[in-house]
Amino acid sequence: MIVSDVVCPFCGCLCDDLELEVEGDRVVRVQNGCSLAEATFMHDTRLPTPIRRTKNGWEDISYDEAIKETADILKEADRPLLYGWSSTHGEAQSVGVHIAELIGAVIDNTSTVCHGPSILAIQEVGHPGCTLGQVKNRADVIIYWGCNPIEAHPRHMSRYTTYATGFFVPDAQRERTVIVVDTRRNDTTGIADEFLQVEPGGDYAVLSALRAIVRGKESVIPKKVAGISKEQLIRVAEICKNAKFGAIFFGLGLTMSRGKYKNVRNAIELTDELNRHTKFVISPMRGHGNVYGSNEVFTWMTGYPFAVDFARGIAFYNPGETTAVDILRREECDAALIVASDPGANFPRDAAAHLAKIPTVVIDPHVNATTALSHIHIPCTAAGIDAAGTAYRMDGVPIRLKKVIERGYPDDAEILKKIYDRLNGGMGP
Amino acid sequence: MKCILNTGRTVPQGTAVEHKGSDAYRAVASACFLNPVDMMMLGIENGARVRITSPAGHVVLSVCSAEGVTRGEIFVTIGPYANHIISSETHGTGMPDFKSQSVNVEPTEEPILSVGELMEEIGGLRYDRQ
Repeated sequence: MIVSDVVCPFCGCLCDDLELEVEGDRVVRVQNGCSLAEATFMHDTRLPTPIRRTKNGWEDISYDEAIKETADILKEADRPLLYGWSSTHGEAQSVGVHIAELIGAVIDNTSTVCHGPSILAIQEVGHPGCTLGQVKNRADVIIYWGCNPIEAHPRHMSRYTTYATGFFVPDAQRERTVIVVDTRRNDTTGIADEFLQVEPGGDYAVLSALRAIVRGKESVIPKKVAGISKEQLIRVAEICKNAKFGAIFFGLGLTMSRGKYKNVRNAIELTDELNRHTKFVISPMRGHGNVYGSNEVFTWMTGYPFAVDFARGIAFYNPGETTAVDILRREECDAALIVASDPGANFPRDAAAHLAKIPTVVIDPHVNATTALSHIHIPCTAAGIDAAGTAYRMDGVPIRLKKVIERGYPDDAEILKKIYDRLNGGMGP
Repeated sequence: MKCILNTGRTVPQGTAVEHKGSDAYRAVASACFLNPVDMMMLGIENGARVRITSPAGHVVLSVCSAEGVTRGEIFVTIGPYANHIISSETHGTGMPDFKSQSVNVEPTEEPILSVGELMEEIGGLRYDRQ
């Protein structure tokens, strides 16, 4: 059977033009997708049943037993941490927030180690952004700053920027100028019209220099700024000022390097400065398929996009204190529920190590590094493969993920609702 | 040799990311990209093993030559190998220094651990039934 207009749930692009060939409970062919989409749909091996760690191994347990023990663990905990949420749909995320409120937990999502700093910057100075459709149809100058779309978002360039034919940009490859800023040369920098190779940790200085030049203060700029010549900076500033419509996309090269959210703030303020000359927008390259959705769901339910602490009975937000890595580093939480993510692989060693010291429950379709640190792992559907639901694309557009096959696993939203019911004396959220 | 550890995503890492117990994932996540001149200074060739040490711990990785990486920098894809040596300090932002961890790089004959073995080093127990 051929299923068309399928949404790939892997990365923040949420490409919605895939065509899949399905045989029974397997996807046998993926068309239009990148290699990440192919791996997502065609090599989808799952944990077969819930498992529990024993003294010297693992035992299979029933879903009912796993759900009951998870509820008991959360009920007994003084400071539970509910973490993850970015590879599942909004329906599961919202039940997660209800559980956090009910038991006074800290709930955090993967943006805490991804674009959390971008959110902090946006809270400081705002977000002059737009949808990817606007970029595709209008942008003639594209800047990729501290991101590598060829590796991390393989179809971003062909669907929205460098190679995409737009209404006002009919000959994309000739009409769009691509500027790439990175610390190392890679495949993305190879297709750039201008490549600015910045020294590690030098992004803030380069952004400041560009702001100064756009303001007409180029006389204050030294010959080189963080490895980039003054001539190139002036040339790039001119390209930007003469754009009809410019779009900056930035990645973890800004959020994870020295300066963190201040780098992003500076990039937004450069965008602000460029808007005195022409139209310019800026947007983060969101990683996980529905990480933007976790920010949306958390915000409309609690008022805050990540790192929400319900210990006081009300929503409290203080990144650096209520963020997952900090809570784990301080060995503060005494139980953890990990949904649709893998902090065992993606958190620094000390933070991940604390998960093994406390009762940790994982709800995720796949065996991952966190499985080894957990007490219980409950397998479930994968949103966009065998479960339908809502996800948000990196530009904030909600897209309905399709259920393309049935594999006999329960939906994670259903598992979470059962956990909620047990915690709430049989009453649902 | 003192270096700065940079991390990021790659396509091979993304295609193997839901198969963390596989040999393919182990190969991409434990690859350490170094500038060829730095490799010459260390006296090592492609495929050699290096021990990377930081205040957070140490890990053994396999060397790949990459001219795009500047001297004094190493690049490792995001994942459990890189995170084994990254400090959990976030400077009050919630975000660790995933792209600017200072490390020491030295040649070694020690073996590269599997993801399961890395997790067992920090108190876990690998699950390898599939």
